[in-house]
Amino acid sequence: MSPSREPKHPFATRITRGRVQESIMFGFLRGMTFFVLFCAAFLFWDILSKGASKVFEGDGMLNWEFLTEHPQTLHVIGEGKDEIKLSSSNYFKLKDEKILVKWEEFRQSDEHDQARRGLDKVINLLEREWGDDSLAQSNEDFLNRECDNAANKFSFWKEMLVDVNNTAIDFEMKPEDVPSMVSQFILGHFEMERGRFSLVEEKITLFRAMQYPKIESISLKNAEQIEDAYKLFLSVVPEVYNKSIKLFGREVRSSYDEFMQVEGPKEFGRFAEAIVAYSNVRESFWGKDYESENWESLQASLTPFKRAMNVSLPSRDYAYSGGGIFPAIVGTLLLVIGAMAIAIVLGVFCAIFLAEYGKSGKFLSLVRLAILNLAGVPSIIFGLFGFGLFVIFLDWNVSLLAGWFTLAFMVLPIVITASEEALRSIPQGFRESSLALGATKWTMIKTSVLPFAMPGILTSSILGVARAAGETAPIMFTAAYAKRSELPWEGLEHWTDFFFQGVMALPYHIYVVSAKIPQNAYTADMQYGTAFVFLLLVVGVASLSIILRNRLRRKYRW
Amino acid sequence: MQEALKATSENSQSLMDSKNNAPSIRIKELDFLYGNNQVIHDVSLDIFPKEVMAFIGPSGCGKSTLLRCLNRMNDLVDGARIGKGSIEIHGVNLHHKSVDVIELRKKVGMVFQKSNPFPKSIYQNVAYGLQIQGIKSKQVVDGKVEESLRKAALWEEVKDRLNENAYGLSGGQQQRLCIARTLAVEPEIILMDEPCSALDPVATGRVEELILELKNEYTIVVVTHNMQQAGRISDRTAFFYLGKLIECDQTKKIFLNPNKQQTEDYISGKFG
Repeated sequence: MSPSREPKHPFATRITRGRVQESIMFGFLRGMTFFVLFCAAFLFWDILSKGASKVFEGDGMLNWEFLTEHPQTLHVIGEGKDEIKLSSSNYFKLKDEKILVKWEEFRQSDEHDQARRGLDKVINLLEREWGDDSLAQSNEDFLNRECDNAANKFSFWKEMLVDVNNTAIDFEMKPEDVPSMVSQFILGHFEMERGRFSLVEEKITLFRAMQYPKIESISLKNAEQIEDAYKLFLSVVPEVYNKSIKLFGREVRSSYDEFMQVEGPKEFGRFAEAIVAYSNVRESFWGKDYESENWESLQASLTPFKRAMNVSLPSRDYAYSGGGIFPAIVGTLLLVIGAMAIAIVLGVFCAIFLAEYGKSGKFLSLVRLAILNLAGVPSIIFGLFGFGLFVIFLDWNVSLLAGWFTLAFMVLPIVITASEEALRSIPQGFRESSLALGATKWTMIKTSVLPFAMPGILTSSILGVARAAGETAPIMFTAAYAKRSELPWEGLEHWTDFFFQGVMALPYHIYVVSAKIPQNAYTADMQYGTAFVFLLLVVGVASLSIILRNRLRRKYRW
Repeated sequence: MQEALKATSENSQSLMDSKNNAPSIRIKELDFLYGNNQVIHDVSLDIFPKEVMAFIGPSGCGKSTLLRCLNRMNDLVDGARIGKGSIEIHGVNLHHKSVDVIELRKKVGMVFQKSNPFPKSIYQNVAYGLQIQGIKSKQVVDGKVEESLRKAALWEEVKDRLNENAYGLSGGQQQRLCIARTLAVEPEIILMDEPCSALDPVATGRVEELILELKNEYTIVVVTHNMQQAGRISDRTAFFYLGKLIECDQTKKIFLNPNKQQTEDYISGKFG
């Protein structure tokens, strides 16, 4: 562009300040728009591509487990190419299968017959233990032993109380603290006894209730009284334990018979459990030191069976990375529907009042200002508000109801503003002609304003609620559980309980998985999969509202 | 203009009849204000049964406001109030607190400038007034709908498509539908606020014919900007200027030989 070249005609392009500005601004505006577009596209591409690999796992089939299961721990077996990912339920199923295989192998072996014969012999010997003769002998042994023990302990405590000053020196404490220390010893002892005599729970509770006031103000005299009372109490124990030993013994026998018939690993498990229950009672009745030969040989004859059940399936475990998100999907849907209903009812009635009945004035503009400002309040504040009002003050606990109201209050400004706009967009003529035909104001609103405003109200309200449903903050204190094993309709004692239960929710699930659980490739999968489903859900709700609007619009056009 | 006068003289007979009756509407020394803005100054006017009264005057002269006072549609406007004076229908002060505005509006129907049927079917539009009164019998409603549509000279045109949306009708049909809707509630007085201003000449003609027909049964008050129209349809004409009633007389007299200079100036198009 040499300066010597003059434009050949009056309209030739010349570089002026205006032109330069024009092209710079054009490029700038276009760049901005493209940047926004790029970010949006990246967001969708990121979530859709990564999420899709979770939702349509591997072969492009829908990953039903992800959509219909509860969140579980992921067990990863093997490494690299041979890696197998199993959620808990499948992992344990696999383990059971392996146990079954090993068990069958064991049954085929020679060792099995021998082990079985041994066990049979021991059980028959053991059965004599709960015969009446042996139990009568045990009663005496038990009473003598326990009374001796109690006498030993109480004589020690009484000694401490006889010469308080001496005790104080021994324990390096003030003399007036000695009684309270002794009471602590006695209380501790009864606490232990309570565990040991769990079968006579009721009686020992009664004993404690009667003796505790005396223990609180311990002296030599009431220590003696307590000792007597305790010995009296001990005499009621053997009868109950006799019964229990007979009962648990029979349980052992019957589960053993069952095991002998079927000889499966499950039956063996039940049998082993019965032995453990029996041995617990046996131990508190006969004492820890009491070990019969029979008992030892029982343990020995069980060993081959136990070995046959011992299968190892080493895996690396990742919490929250397996299973699915079904409860979260259900929870989010419930939250959205409930919050929507509450917000629309509250918001529409409020808007009707503001738009139709409110007279313009200071009060009304104050109300409007308040509503507009409400829209600017951060969602976490709404969460705290809901926590304070619904969860604590109204005592609804963490529940659907509290979540509904919190979410509803959060979208209320959107719903009210949108509804007011929709109501105002109805031609004044409809109102006037309705009134001129002798309608009251409410009849006028009901018949010739609200039906025509409904499409607008519903669309913007549903969109508003769908947006709010994605918020984590308002529900994290009021409605959401990180993990809940029942679905909302399971285990309800009364139908009203439905409203007073917390639920899992997609946004909170994403938050929990990404913020509370140690990160790895498997949790990332879970997050993206959840985000993908969540995105689809929101898009679904939004399209539903648009379809609804178009339907209603077609019905009322003017 | 000649045509208009001819029409008026034809109507003079009915005018004479009505003059002998007691007035249907009596407006006494009325002041009306929107907040602090007085829009009607000391208007006194009688309207007789079964006559067509036309209100004319330039924009903002208060004629529409006065019309809307007659069935208290102004109640809807914040700050609208009576300064002094009163409006009486059959001797009852409309603004007395014992008056139920709902009952009043059933007796004093109104047709608006812009035809505004509800976005429902033709049938539902006419039946609306009956339905909000709680009349459920289909027989009664059907009969009333047909009667009203016949009176509004619309029956023949719409009888086959009563269930179609009212917005499928032409502008003139819509306006007649609005009149039919008003007739269905059985009013005594019909107020019309520039009923033809949005219509083409042919449709206007049909509505005017209808007004002349309805005159036999109803008292009609029409606000109009179209002076020929006032001449064609009204028995008497009231001319308003700046919220004051300048002159009210037989239409013929107003158009041919007005008493006031302002009236003559307006009629002859010097202003307004």
